[in-house]
Amino acid sequence: MKEKTNKKEGQPTTGVVESGPDNAAALANQKLAKAEAVKEEMIHLIVFKLGAEEYGIKIEQVKEVTVTPNVTRMPRTPDFIKGVANIRGDIIAIMNLEERFGIRPVPLADDLNPRITYTLVIEAKEYSIGVIVREVPQSLNLSMTKIDKAPSFLQDININENYIEGIAKVNNRLIIVLDMYKILTQDEIRELKIN
Amino acid sequence: MKSREQEYKEIFIAEALEYYDALNRLISELEKKPQDDQVLAEIFRMLHNLKANAKAIGYLQISDVSHKLETAFGLIRNKELSFSDEVVGVLFDGIDLLGELIKGIDSERQVEIDPVLIRNLDIIVDSLSDSTVELAKVQKFSTSRNLTLSDLIYIQVKKLDHLMNLVGELIIDRDRILSLSRELDNDELKTVSSHLYRITEDLEYSVMDARLVSIGTLFNKFPRVVRDISTSEKKEINLELTGQDIQIDRNILQIITDSLLHLVRNAITHGIEKPEQRAKVGKPKVGSLQLSARSDRESVIITLADDGRGIDVGKVKKAAVERHMIAGEVADGLPDSEVYSFLFEPGFSLAKEVTEYSGRGVGLDVVKNAIDSIGGRIRIESEKGKGTSFILQLPTSIAVKGALLFEIDSIFYAIPLIHTDSVVALDKDELHEVGDVLVADIKGETVTVVYLDELLNVEESQMRLGDKTRLKGQVQNIIIVSYNNRKLGLIVDKLYRQQDIVVKPLSKPLDSIDLYGGVTLLGTGKVCLVLDVPAITRYFVNRR
Repeated sequence: MKEKTNKKEGQPTTGVVESGPDNAAALANQKLAKAEAVKEEMIHLIVFKLGAEEYGIKIEQVKEVTVTPNVTRMPRTPDFIKGVANIRGDIIAIMNLEERFGIRPVPLADDLNPRITYTLVIEAKEYSIGVIVREVPQSLNLSMTKIDKAPSFLQDININENYIEGIAKVNNRLIIVLDMYKILTQDEIRELKIN
Repeated sequence: MKSREQEYKEIFIAEALEYYDALNRLISELEKKPQDDQVLAEIFRMLHNLKANAKAIGYLQISDVSHKLETAFGLIRNKELSFSDEVVGVLFDGIDLLGELIKGIDSERQVEIDPVLIRNLDIIVDSLSDSTVELAKVQKFSTSRNLTLSDLIYIQVKKLDHLMNLVGELIIDRDRILSLSRELDNDELKTVSSHLYRITEDLEYSVMDARLVSIGTLFNKFPRVVRDISTSEKKEINLELTGQDIQIDRNILQIITDSLLHLVRNAITHGIEKPEQRAKVGKPKVGSLQLSARSDRESVIITLADDGRGIDVGKVKKAAVERHMIAGEVADGLPDSEVYSFLFEPGFSLAKEVTEYSGRGVGLDVVKNAIDSIGGRIRIESEKGKGTSFILQLPTSIAVKGALLFEIDSIFYAIPLIHTDSVVALDKDELHEVGDVLVADIKGETVTVVYLDELLNVEESQMRLGDKTRLKGQVQNIIIVSYNNRKLGLIVDKLYRQQDIVVKPLSKPLDSIDLYGGVTLLGTGKVCLVLDVPAITRYFVNRR
């Protein structure tokens, strides 16, 4: 299975891997939502799970979603770098955000194949990286007003978590919106160097 | 820079002179053994090539004389003309004339053809060994021979590759000197290093230029290929070639040869319809296949376009959905360009039958891998009923490096040959634990040996580089590398072949990891890590 997003086309329906009967309904909902959205500012997220929580990335930052290809491990790099993979001729770094953020992994649901993971190809300003997720990412369209840009708890977290852009609340779901452009800061890049 | 015509002319002259020398040798041989068919066939072949080459470049006198000589030798071969003394004399004269004409191309002096000689040639050709007609004496025009050597030399690509590698190394050192001169802030050093910079740049450019060949060397093989495939497919095809004189690195051309052949086969067997089908849809009976090349800044664009049935996007989508590569609903909204990318997936084929030339399970994924491996791109444009184009964007030049491939813990690695000294297999007992390292006696030299699996894969706190018990198996494959005149033996799990690789630099953020000089894609599409020997050596020294 392989899907691609194409942000230039701006087609929300092609944006996400989704399977099963819910899909058509979800798409219909999206279209409906889109129609209503003309007045208010909308945000389109790709939503995936890390640990037990849901995280979201703005679709503009996601180049494509694909079944994780063969990843070649690179010895002597930080653990959260799973290696490099050949995605359409480009060789990009593949990272595991659970390990990067120290998120406790949860056991996978029984109906999911543990050997198949998905890779979100994130297009940062100067380079692309792949982010591994275990479940099929979903597409979600929501109003900007649903996102709490500066939740007060952010000050309570002792580390500098400036890659959290905000918290979205939709139908009892809490989605942590990440700013992928900030995910690899200069510090992290420095950490990659050995010696 | 010389003009292209000038270059072609020089190549022609060099080749023609070689033929001329060989002809002189062969005809002397033939004079001694007139019955030797092999020598005759060789002479015949050379004259034929000379005729064709001369005609192509417009030297009609040469092609004329070659033609007459070819005919004469044809008759001799068919035993219709005896190889008598008289005939031999005329043939020698004819070959001498050829030599004069070839040498005359580049000189101001117009070579005059002795009409008597031409008449003599005509006589032996026409009279069919009926020697009733008298052969006239020919005035020898060159009694004193000049011996000349050719202006062109043939060189093995291997040697050029080696030169290219050395230039690569030189550039690394040059950059180091350049930064040192800045640090030291010495004016004299700065002047010298900036001069060094310009020279090495020129050198790099010259070596790259020496590796360029015209795309025609590959394109010109296709008329025959197309003829053979279309005949067996019972199709009529007109192949049009353009841009043969575009220049490209010889190794790139080598790597894409099979891919291009594959695409041409595909176009003929699957793309272009049979004449009767074409007539039905109102297309000309003869299918058209265009193979063209053009330069685009740093790349060369090769396009293969047919006017066949085009790609059925619906069919591709259906096949993709059937193979669970995509969900049905998503497939509907996909733009065509994305649908075509499924064709490059392994094992994806729409071909129903296997023919002699196509559909043997080798798919477009192989083509894609080959193009990827040289850092090129491939894309498809197609319109149903109108035809399909494959567009290959290739780099003009690449830094191809010879490298040794090996495996450690199921990961492929490569080390550029420039750093490798030799490869040895040693029994475990020949390795000795000295202090906290392993050493071995290699050809009388005591060399430090390191188990790469231990160095790369064991947690740094657990690393024990001097512990033989960590080794697997009895016989150890060791690559001896040298850096800064210091030798180091690297023990690897499996040793593979030597191969030419294109090193791709690692993209950000991985480019800061200096242990790896880059990556390369193997023919299988697998990623192979290129180890940087200086960094490995440094890392080893620091760990110890």
